[in-house]
Amino acid sequence: MSETKPKKTTGRVNSFKIIQAIISVLFLAFLSWRLYNVISSGVYGPDTWVRFAISGLIIGSVYAVIAIGYTLVYGILFMINFAHGELMMIGAFSGYFVFEALKSIPVAATGMSFLDSYQIISVVLAFIVGMFMAALSGYFLEKIAYRPLRGAPRLIPLISAIGASIFLQNAAQVTFGPQRRTYTNPDALLRSQGWRIPIGGEEVILTYTGVLTFVLSILLLIGLYTLVMRTRYGRSMRAVAENKQTAALMGINVDRIISNTFIISGALGGAAGVMWGIHNGIIYHFVGFIPGIKAFTAAVLGGIGNIPGAMVGGLLLGIVESLGPAALGIDFQLKDVIAFSILVLILIFRPSGIVGEVLTEEKV
Amino acid sequence: MKDLIKQGLRLGSIFGVVIIFLILFGLTSTLSDILGEFVNLESRTRTGNPGGLIILFAILSLWAGSMATASDRSNWKPALVSGVSVSLIIALLISGFILLVGFLDSLDVAMRDYLAQLDHLSIQFLLYGRDLTTGVLLTFGIFFLFGILGALLTYWYEAKQAGEVIQKQVLVLKEKALDSKLAKQYKENPRSKWIGYGLLGLVVFITPQFLGKYWNYAMGTVGIYVLMGLGLNIVVGLAGLLDLGYVAFFAIGAYTAGLLTAPAPLPLQIGFWPVLIFSIVMAAFAGILLGIPVLRMRGDYLAIVTLGFGEIIRVLIRSDMLAPYVGGPQGIRDIAGPSLFGIAFSGKAYLYLIIFAILLIILFTNYLQNSKVGRAWMAMREDETVAQAMGINTLYYKLMAFATGAAFAGLGGALFAARNQYTGPADHTLMVSINVLSLLIVGGMGSIPGVIVGAFVLKGLPEILRELDLYRLLVFGGLLVFMMIMRPEGIWPAPRRRMELHEGELDVLPPEESLVGKEG
Repeated sequence: MSETKPKKTTGRVNSFKIIQAIISVLFLAFLSWRLYNVISSGVYGPDTWVRFAISGLIIGSVYAVIAIGYTLVYGILFMINFAHGELMMIGAFSGYFVFEALKSIPVAATGMSFLDSYQIISVVLAFIVGMFMAALSGYFLEKIAYRPLRGAPRLIPLISAIGASIFLQNAAQVTFGPQRRTYTNPDALLRSQGWRIPIGGEEVILTYTGVLTFVLSILLLIGLYTLVMRTRYGRSMRAVAENKQTAALMGINVDRIISNTFIISGALGGAAGVMWGIHNGIIYHFVGFIPGIKAFTAAVLGGIGNIPGAMVGGLLLGIVESLGPAALGIDFQLKDVIAFSILVLILIFRPSGIVGEVLTEEKV
Repeated sequence: MKDLIKQGLRLGSIFGVVIIFLILFGLTSTLSDILGEFVNLESRTRTGNPGGLIILFAILSLWAGSMATASDRSNWKPALVSGVSVSLIIALLISGFILLVGFLDSLDVAMRDYLAQLDHLSIQFLLYGRDLTTGVLLTFGIFFLFGILGALLTYWYEAKQAGEVIQKQVLVLKEKALDSKLAKQYKENPRSKWIGYGLLGLVVFITPQFLGKYWNYAMGTVGIYVLMGLGLNIVVGLAGLLDLGYVAFFAIGAYTAGLLTAPAPLPLQIGFWPVLIFSIVMAAFAGILLGIPVLRMRGDYLAIVTLGFGEIIRVLIRSDMLAPYVGGPQGIRDIAGPSLFGIAFSGKAYLYLIIFAILLIILFTNYLQNSKVGRAWMAMREDETVAQAMGINTLYYKLMAFATGAAFAGLGGALFAARNQYTGPADHTLMVSINVLSLLIVGGMGSIPGVIVGAFVLKGLPEILRELDLYRLLVFGGLLVFMMIMRPEGIWPAPRRRMELHEGELDVLPPEESLVGKEG
């Protein structure tokens, strides 16, 4: 009996895998057929493709920064911080208020506002304030909504997180008003300005804000990776993620590590919010929700709990999302459908993500 | 002594910050309106009731003062110390904030562009319609005096042991009532349960007769949410599968009913009753379709995938690509309402139809819950691996849960679309899923009366408190967090779930340990 049983299970797994493989081959064939049709029809010139790819990379780098926040929290508490997108929203609003305040301060020496006279300082200030406010909110979020629930069944902190998300969105709506606001960037960072690159007879604009967003995201990601992987503090974080009780026995203050994780992930969310504001220009109380879900998709795509995975997942999701509708020849309104379909497909066929992380059954 | 002051300052700053946020949300003026009406103060300004505001501030500071004495209520000295420290810090924070706001307003700074609630009128209202100094001093005085008063009153209450006396009397009264002849008769009679149900049914049957048109409509909405709550109750409450895309099935039901009965965009115009059945079948089919790929997922991943599914459906129904078939952003108009023997259902009759549907679903759910299927679901919820080992075909039962839950949502959607004679993408946002989930949680997961209570609290109460309409979702979110922390089992919990959630308090394993055990 002990011999037949494992045989049977492997047989079942194999048949499932064969069906999976057939479906994926058919799906890929369909995709390449669509892609071939679109490219051969020549609807989009090479400059358009480059434009899509650039915007995908930039938005993908923002997704990556937000995704790291999800991954950090998930790695330590095994919970989806549903309100993480709202931390991004708080960061975006803080940056907006900094810019507005600086714009209203006149500088006698230059005859212009502070914002335009000291542009680098202004941008740095916006990022610092945005990150600080989001980190502060993250700290209190954990303290109020999650800490009392530690050790409860897993559904309960998730629902609490959903509640916190709704609360923060609506708090922002009633406090700041429901209207959409436009970021006032300093002169050097106007959203229409950038380097012009000639491609195929057309000009593609590589905006300064886009480059700033991309470079800053990569720097943040590298900094975080170094923090987690190379420092003593990062080691204690990883120890807590591995096993809280053993980590506590090794003299690590588990509560403080968890608090700090929320602070770090909040700061990253805040930075992403300011980048979003500077690059996209429009913010409102609901701005964090969809990017939040997409960043979660990115985190899952790269293997949740895995920091390089989140970076790869974010960039990949951004590119697929902006190239996808064009490549498949469908409506651009449907790019969210593409993102969510990827999420569903990844979770079905490869729940450990593309970079991969060994997941125990409990985590899945 | 030092500790007392420290504690007081801490508590005071928490209260102060929360009250400042209340002012920023604009909740102060709404609440003071309600309070002002409650005590019949007529001197209302355009933005609110200053008398109500004074009462609101007084209540808040009394509360803060009484909270401050929590550590030591035996003596009047510590009570006074903590009362003074709490009320001083609150008074300083709030009056400082009002001073700042009032000062900026007097300089004509347009704060309203950035903080929507701080327009000139609201700031005047915060100053009770007086000048800056008087307003600020008045605020300071109210918070300071009532805070101390609250602390001293609490001390006095404890010292007199007034609370215990009242509690004892209530207990005696309760016992007397339970011992009375009538109660005994009621308890011992086996048919009393049915008498209770009969009375309840009578109330449900008669109420729509006395409701106006508006309330009929509002109660109809509550009823449709009860239907959806009962469906989600099966998926989440019984089978333990967290579904955040439940609105997808609601949308499928509504759109099936709409597309098949409306003249445009598809010229089918089939009658209501066959379409109602068809919507339910379609929704159940969609439930199975979604269920198959996600069968192997658990917990959070399932939640996110279903959320993605709901968003996909919403984006699809409002996309231009599918607009010729499903109506696009405008939705579907002129959906046929039901009629029987030539009489159209509308107003009261429609409410009866919804009530009838709820009764049917309740009977069905009750039957399922106590059958083999229900027990299999609950076993799966408790521990999937063990359930599988006990010979339960988890895949089959999961699909069944998805299909049943989806079918109820489809019924709700069809009834909703036919009642409004319209449905569009705006009816099927993520908020619907969240609302249904919230009503389930607030009411009590896995419990049928809990679903009904939850639907009344979350959908009916906002209709009564119309002034709070702007803050409905804000309160929702806060309520969800609050419920999870204070009473995760809900208002009217299923007895089994209640035991589970309080297991750590009575049982061998403290919750922290059981968590670590699970992570392995």
